[in-house]
Amino acid sequence: MNREPMIKQPIPQDFVRRRFCHGDLRLMLLCILSAWLPQPLITVADDGLDRIRQRGTLVWGADQEGGGPFVYPDPDDPSQLTGFEVELAELIAEHLGVKAEFSQGQWDKLPDLLDRGDIDLVLNGYEWTADRAKRYGVSVPYYIYELQLLGRTADNSLTSWDDLLKPIDGRKRKVSVLGGSAAQDYVEQFGGDNIDVALFEGATDAMEATELRLSGIDANVQDLPIWLFYAKGFPQLRPIGAPVGRGYYVAMTRKTDQDLLRVVNEILLKALQDGRLHRIFAKYGIWNETQMMRGLETDESGGFIGSSSPSADGSDADASTASYQPSGGWTVIRQRGGLLVKSAGMTVLLSITAMPVAVFIGLLIALARLYGPWYLGKPAAVYVEIVRGTPLVLQLYLIYFLVPKLLDIIFPGMELTINAFAAAVMGLAINYSAYEAEIYRGGIQSIPRGQMEAAISLGMSRSLALRRIIIPQATRLVLPPMTNDFIALFKDTAVCSVITVVELSKQYYIQARSAGAIVELGLLTALLYLAMSYPLSVVSNRLEKNLNQDRRG
Amino acid sequence: MIELTNIVKRYQQHEVLRGVSLTVADGEVCVLLGPSGGGKSTLLRTINGLESFESGSIRVSDIVLNATSGPERDEALLQIRKRVGMVFQQFNLFPHRSVLENVTEAPIHVLKKSREAAVQNARRILARVGMADKENARPGSLSGGQQQRVAIARTLAMNPEAILFDEPTSALDPRTTAEIISVMTDLASSGQRMIVVTHAMSFARNVAHQVHILHAGRIAESGPPEQIFEHSKEAITREFLSEAGGRRA
Repeated sequence: MNREPMIKQPIPQDFVRRRFCHGDLRLMLLCILSAWLPQPLITVADDGLDRIRQRGTLVWGADQEGGGPFVYPDPDDPSQLTGFEVELAELIAEHLGVKAEFSQGQWDKLPDLLDRGDIDLVLNGYEWTADRAKRYGVSVPYYIYELQLLGRTADNSLTSWDDLLKPIDGRKRKVSVLGGSAAQDYVEQFGGDNIDVALFEGATDAMEATELRLSGIDANVQDLPIWLFYAKGFPQLRPIGAPVGRGYYVAMTRKTDQDLLRVVNEILLKALQDGRLHRIFAKYGIWNETQMMRGLETDESGGFIGSSSPSADGSDADASTASYQPSGGWTVIRQRGGLLVKSAGMTVLLSITAMPVAVFIGLLIALARLYGPWYLGKPAAVYVEIVRGTPLVLQLYLIYFLVPKLLDIIFPGMELTINAFAAAVMGLAINYSAYEAEIYRGGIQSIPRGQMEAAISLGMSRSLALRRIIIPQATRLVLPPMTNDFIALFKDTAVCSVITVVELSKQYYIQARSAGAIVELGLLTALLYLAMSYPLSVVSNRLEKNLNQDRRG
Repeated sequence: MIELTNIVKRYQQHEVLRGVSLTVADGEVCVLLGPSGGGKSTLLRTINGLESFESGSIRVSDIVLNATSGPERDEALLQIRKRVGMVFQQFNLFPHRSVLENVTEAPIHVLKKSREAAVQNARRILARVGMADKENARPGSLSGGQQQRVAIARTLAMNPEAILFDEPTSALDPRTTAEIISVMTDLASSGQRMIVVTHAMSFARNVAHQVHILHAGRIAESGPPEQIFEHSKEAITREFLSEAGGRRA
């Protein structure tokens, strides 16, 4: 499976410019914000806002996998979500007079979900970039993030960014980062050829590898909020130097939903001013001087709340009430095992819905290739080659995002769409139908020609002969490989998480990263898969044995 | 009446049948003899459409089968196949069905007979070919001779106007060959019309009404068995018979 980075800040526009701006940040922000302040309240609502109010829910998209402190399963009740973005979403929804509804999506696909109309708002640590500002409505920043260099407490040879450039024991320093993140770009720009970069798919994985010194990793560069949140879970790591590489987390709307964007800006600024943002961020231990530098926070009397020691230790993590709580052993299995079992239900449902469809399509394709006229046979052959020759992930993605667009072109204005489950079933069914078709074709071809001749010589039509004589015999031949395919499909359901279906694997990644219990939950997940696929294997073996006995007569 | 008129059949450039005409009257047993590659089996298989042909026509009672393809030909073929049965060298029984089911399959699903009527009829026919006690057996558990008797029963269950036998004993040993020949002789004596491709000279000599010698895609000689076996006018026939006689004691 092609999993994507979970916390992520791709494409910082360029660091030279960002650092250049650094000194003027406060001034610049004030300019930007003051430009917003005099904006009148929303007067006329366009479709987007109307729709949200009519529906009564604000649907916001984020990825809960490895999502602390942004969006993650509540350790006290893993079936519920918590995180500062959850509270932000509630803040915005409350302001709109509607309820906030979370929609799970893979992080890098969230803008696509926005385009598709599945969600109203992306609220998930998306950084401001010029490209994004061009394509989407981007809000005022709700958080200013920085990057933090982390080293091992025990490692005295590393005390500054510059130390990274010095070789140690005759080799280059090795730094772990989240693949595709701003941290990766920053480190590569900073170090050039003098630093080795190790890419990880999860922010916590990268920190863990650094703490354990896996494959000679010396340091980690991390989003500051993530470090602040997870710091307690990594006692062997320590921050080195001041945070660097500043950037903005922004909420994103569709470009056309300008009124929604205005409302989002309105509440963000209001919450910044009246201290509600402060309280939310403090709860997760990620409020710091950098946020305060925006200098907009006022007290009840309207007086500006400044800071007497703006250069002091940036965070008030000790004030935080929500933080990373790693858990393990039987506790984590008791707490989160139920969720995994529930998601296993989705895995089963996907498989048992998709397989019969795959079998049906596969049989039609096989018959078209074997007995159909050329105008059916040729396209069937092309179908098999295309489907077999492209990855399932891509097919799922295309079905999920392309079909609604096609429907819109064919039936304009009807707003037909396809939900994620239906798209997942369609994708799996189409993908496997190609393999089934080839199995059936082989099975049918291995029935001696004399069988068809005998059948039609008795006055049977070709289709009757197929139904009564050929297919029943071929079925016995193809049952064992079909059962194997079913087991494979069953495991391939894991890929469906790319189109927002949360099945067993995805739930595992979410829960394991949230609880820091990769081993316990991993074993449980493996056990669940095995418990479901083993009976199928037994059936497959038995069928094969029966077939062999039949052949011996 | 079955009438073949000027049948021509080609495999690519090679002409397998070069204008064959023959007639089989009602109740008549017709045997096709000739060296291998002479076109006997191909000719037989054109009659029920297992082989197509390039020109000529085939008439079975009132149904005419032409060389042109199309839905009309398909319909004609379906009708011919309901009336003309075929027995194969390799039996071609349906291995996933019992002996009884092999025999009732077509009457039920092609002739739309009731299951009861079909089963009753099948049991009578199985008894006639000496397979009454095996109705629940699977074809795979039967000997070759037994399988061929079931295959004949399966054909008879369609109550065919004619049966085509395509080397029905070539896959069998001499003793079981004799068994099958006796079943076929019994059928012939009850007035069953049949066209037989075979190497069993005794059957041709003793049972056939008409014998045709097929050589290189043409009928070299036709006539009643006494004429062919005793007073042949054609060198090809005499050569074939002396070789076949030498080979098969």
